[in-house]
Amino acid sequence: MTAGGWLSGCAGLTGGGSGGGGGGRPGTLSVITWASDAEAAVFRDLADRFGSENDVTVDLQVIPFEEVQTTVDAQLQAGDPPDVFRVTYTDLGRYSTTGQLLDVTPYVDDAAAFIPAFWQAVQTDGTPYGVPHHTDTTAIVYRPDLLQPAGITVPTSLDEAWSWEEFAEVSDALKASLPQGVFPFVYDWQQFGAYRWLTWLFEAGGRLLDDDLATAVVQSPEGLKALEFTQRFFTEQWVPRNTSVKSTTYPDAAFIGERTAMAFVGDFLLPGIEAEVDFDYQATFQPRDVRASSDLGGNALVATAESANAELAGEFLRFMVTEDAMTEWCARTTELPTLQSLVGQDLGYEVRPDLMPVFVEQATTLTEEDVAQVTVPAFSQVNTVLLDQLELAFLGDQSAEDTLAAIAEGVDAAIAG
Amino acid sequence: MASEVGVGAARVARRGGTGTGRTRRTRRSRSTAFSWAMAGPNTAVVALFLLLPLGWAVWLSFRDAGTFGPTRFTGLENYRRMFSDEVFWQAVVNTAVFTLATVPTSILLGLGLAVLLDSALPAQRVWRTVIYLPIVLSGLATALIGSLLFEQSIGIVNKLLAAVGVTGPDWQTDGAWAMASLVLVTVWVRVGFSMVIYLAGLQDVPRDLYEAARLDGAGAWQQFRQVTVPLVRPTTFFLVVLNVIYSFQVFDLVYAMTNGGPGFATTTLPFFAYQYGFEQRQQGYGSAIGLVLFLVVLAFTALQWRGQRGAVQGGA
Repeated sequence: MTAGGWLSGCAGLTGGGSGGGGGGRPGTLSVITWASDAEAAVFRDLADRFGSENDVTVDLQVIPFEEVQTTVDAQLQAGDPPDVFRVTYTDLGRYSTTGQLLDVTPYVDDAAAFIPAFWQAVQTDGTPYGVPHHTDTTAIVYRPDLLQPAGITVPTSLDEAWSWEEFAEVSDALKASLPQGVFPFVYDWQQFGAYRWLTWLFEAGGRLLDDDLATAVVQSPEGLKALEFTQRFFTEQWVPRNTSVKSTTYPDAAFIGERTAMAFVGDFLLPGIEAEVDFDYQATFQPRDVRASSDLGGNALVATAESANAELAGEFLRFMVTEDAMTEWCARTTELPTLQSLVGQDLGYEVRPDLMPVFVEQATTLTEEDVAQVTVPAFSQVNTVLLDQLELAFLGDQSAEDTLAAIAEGVDAAIAG
Repeated sequence: MASEVGVGAARVARRGGTGTGRTRRTRRSRSTAFSWAMAGPNTAVVALFLLLPLGWAVWLSFRDAGTFGPTRFTGLENYRRMFSDEVFWQAVVNTAVFTLATVPTSILLGLGLAVLLDSALPAQRVWRTVIYLPIVLSGLATALIGSLLFEQSIGIVNKLLAAVGVTGPDWQTDGAWAMASLVLVTVWVRVGFSMVIYLAGLQDVPRDLYEAARLDGAGAWQQFRQVTVPLVRPTTFFLVVLNVIYSFQVFDLVYAMTNGGPGFATTTLPFFAYQYGFEQRQQGYGSAIGLVLFLVVLAFTALQWRGQRGAVQGGA
């Protein structure tokens, strides 16, 4: 269906209590989100457009990412939830499996329009509980002025991405050539991003969970290889020691602060980096081992089951994933679309459009098997297990074997509930 | 209340009676009703926002309770799990270390500054304001300032140290230094509060005692030790109780500055409870941790109260 067709489906809405028993005001759609400056601006514009087209008010509440979960949880517990909220793909299952979300089947005209991995990410037992709003992924941004003196050439296609061995050689060469206090790279696994360590596990050919998604299988030769390699980041001083998983120093801050020559960053960080730095930087692909991989970035939009404006909420979701709305969102935020029809299109990225093809291509390395493992309902608890144990492996003296055993134990407990 | 009782007594006198059983009962019941009316709003607020959540937390702590969905009674399982959890005991030790490091330091510095600013120091009001300022900022704002100060690569403290040729400590990746950064920011915030309370306490110390001490040949230090310190003892007690409670409840600084790390080196009990109760959505287990924290603070406060009351009654 065309964007125009989807938009026409929204016409004639008057809002008002067509849904359940939540506390929303008729004709007002309450939406909770976190947002960067770029995201907040486009979110407001799209919300206003939806509001004016449908003669409703969209009450958009932008709060810090760290507070979204507790805010939404508290409102759901109090029986006064927002009509719509933004949620990570990895946290959606916790809400859907406990009956908090609206089945959005009536508001999705063509499920096949979405990239399958992301459509899968919003489903629980075959029922969609949200729409895949966008995705983002990690690639490497680097400073040519620091890599060239070390004689480093950079891959220009996914097929040519550095192997782990080559990446280690690159890091050693940089370590030898960089000035004191500047490190080869920084990785984006801090705090809620701890799960991005799984990219290394997947690249090594390993899995976190078995095919049934019921048991941890991280205690494997592949798991050991991934953990021992990532421990080297710290023992060989390839990364600043204060960028471990529990750190409050994020990769964009380290890169902007000229502490590293390279940084693994999500594409959504490009506007912030572009605004802050006055040196040239380019992008290349993440290293690959047995295979290439990436992390499941991006977010879904969901409506709450108890929303007093369920129909209006559903239509808002429908509107936000039209081709027009998604194109505008991606162009202004440097994030990636989830509609197949937009993949490979010139979306008119406003910031560093020359770098975006790297991120787009990197995103294709994410498989449905990878997605399934990071969207289990207990994944927020799994992320905390990774956070605690990886920290001990990186900054403490916990061995790789003990760490994998502790991760497996913690993950099994989380999955078992 | 006094005027109400007075009116009642006048009515009794006009009727020529001075206290039949019925009038005494009426007077008592009016007095009781008035007392309840006065205390009612506060009692309702305390019941609604303190006792009810507390009771709820007790109930949750005996259940397997997530954020959503049904809960299940599990008896003492959450407590058994907690007492066998190594991280819980590390959090207990961390909280105790943090408390021991922050409470005496902020109180002693506060007393020292109060004595200094109680004397004829130029620009007293400016100094008082500067020192007191951090306490009126939000906890999260001071924590973010702390993050900027103690970031170990590009933070202000290590930059300043580097400027004078000193390699700064690993504030974020060494457990002891990470704890030290929390203590320093806490002392910076709390010292102003201690100072202001002590300044008020110093007004109650009779000046002629200092004069008498000087006549007896006491120097400045002896006057401080023998006159000031004993006479501000009730103030000290007040500050110890408040600061201990504050230190046991430290959360925002840990949340914003260290996230409990490196490892679990700065994981305190409130942060540990928050992680389970909200981040991991295990509200039963989180409540059990919170309840233990509550009981520890309660016991400590009661102990302090009893000890101090005895000391004050015995003559400070």
